[in-house]
Amino acid sequence: MQNDITDKVMATLGVFVRATVYVMLILPAVIVVIASLTQGDSLSFPPKGFSTQWYSNAFASTPFMSALWTSTKLAVTATVIVLSVGSAAAFAIARYRFIGSSLFQSIALSPLIVPVVVLGLGLLQFLSWMGFSQSYLGLFVGHLIIMLPYVVRTMVTGLLLLDRTLEQAAMNLRAPPFRVFCRITLPLLVPSLITAGVFAFVTSFGNVTLSSFLASSGTVTLPVQIFTYVEYSYDPIVAAVSTIVIAVTAVVILVIERAVGVDKLF
Amino acid sequence: MRNKALLGLRGQGEASTAWMWQIAPTVMLLLFFFILPLAGVVRTSFYPGTRSFGAEGFSFEQYLKVILDPFYRSVLIDTIVDGLIVSMVCLVIGFPVGYSLARLPPKQRRWRLILVILPLTLSLVVIVFGWIVILGRGGLVNQLLVSIGAIDRPIRLPYNRTAVLLILVQQFLPYMILSVMSVCSKIDPVLEHAAANLRANRFTTFRRVIVPLAAPGIVSGMILVFILTVSAFVTPRLVGGGNVQMLGSIIYEQVIVALNWPLGGALAMVLLIVTSIVISLANLLAAKKFARHRSSANAK
Repeated sequence: MQNDITDKVMATLGVFVRATVYVMLILPAVIVVIASLTQGDSLSFPPKGFSTQWYSNAFASTPFMSALWTSTKLAVTATVIVLSVGSAAAFAIARYRFIGSSLFQSIALSPLIVPVVVLGLGLLQFLSWMGFSQSYLGLFVGHLIIMLPYVVRTMVTGLLLLDRTLEQAAMNLRAPPFRVFCRITLPLLVPSLITAGVFAFVTSFGNVTLSSFLASSGTVTLPVQIFTYVEYSYDPIVAAVSTIVIAVTAVVILVIERAVGVDKLF
Repeated sequence: MRNKALLGLRGQGEASTAWMWQIAPTVMLLLFFFILPLAGVVRTSFYPGTRSFGAEGFSFEQYLKVILDPFYRSVLIDTIVDGLIVSMVCLVIGFPVGYSLARLPPKQRRWRLILVILPLTLSLVVIVFGWIVILGRGGLVNQLLVSIGAIDRPIRLPYNRTAVLLILVQQFLPYMILSVMSVCSKIDPVLEHAAANLRANRFTTFRRVIVPLAAPGIVSGMILVFILTVSAFVTPRLVGGGNVQMLGSIIYEQVIVALNWPLGGALAMVLLIVTSIVISLANLLAAKKFARHRSSANAK
């Protein structure tokens, strides 16, 4: 009998905790979307009336729109660069044995566990010593560093799971190396490349912690713009801009779900 | 032949230097924009004075200030305590979710997983803003409290430590859930059935079978949440205002607002040292505590 009671309590508690957690996880995003549709001048919940006026305001706002453009440009270019650089490194890790291989891998993954304020100060200072302060370069390389671990990890896993007998078969059939690479290796790696690319993209697009150290007046990203705006005031225009960020993130996740399946990510 | 090696198509055992070309760009990137900048922070933390540009000399001035000044010392201790609280809460409420995700059939898992990944990939500042709308003067919580008659007019809710910690828990929970999920999906359900056959109730099974086997995921999840919490500065700044100081926010302030890089550098080094100590302690404890459990579980 005692077993039954413990089991029932644990089962009920489990259901309760899980429901609370899922609601809590999605709540901020849902509330922001709803609050952005208000008619009033102040943020309130439930919103007063329904209108899309704050979206017109957001699209007409030069600081927010130029920040959105900066963020998009930065995320796209950095993703392309980090995918090529990181995948090459992943090839070496997965396919060659060399001295320092595991050390190299752990350094490439370590930006994940170094506190971002430490990296932010380091990069800010190093770039100003080199004479590149207040430039787009700082933001760009900073983002490459924090995207790198996702790319290296995903690509190494993808390469280790790739069935190499297919490549060997192609080579036995006298396909030249470049052809084997393009027709066999690359297509098999597409799911890993999509996963790595999407994670790199959202990491860069949403980043505020590192960007707020490296952004300067000419290179403000959207999350940094929201951060500085919310520090002094908040009105529904931030909700509208935030909804744009939520929409981009949601679309990107759905792309990964369609192309690879979120199930296979972890 | 060289082409073949560069494309990673050589057979095993064939000597090649292609890996050098493959890692070269990443090595340069990490060297110039990761390792050297971190070394720069070490150097700056030993500058005397408050000048950020063209500073010279060597002293322990900044470190003494961090250790001796009661303000910095209390912020340091508070931040470590916050990190422990947030990682414990994340574990307690994240574990059931991660475990159930690991045991669900793929179809039901998909949408729940999206609910977990969305806040993980969504910009932090948007999440914090969402919480400000929830907890703020005209927000959801206030409206609820007024409508049930608990309070007469809206009160000012955020701007305290509890709110900051609540929001940090929500932000970092996905890391814990995914970490637990990935280890739990590797635990064979047969072990749990075996425990149930031996008349262990759910709690005993949980304590004696699941926890020891899931320990690596629990530890790595907690470490990640701890690091993210102790270096957080966006949430304390936006929600805590000036009332809640955390190590991350005072480093940000010294570096960006006060432009005192030597002090900021010393604080950053202290943060780095604290996180390294916590990581090694956690790994050590886990290795000691669960090595015994695991070997006995395996023996059974």
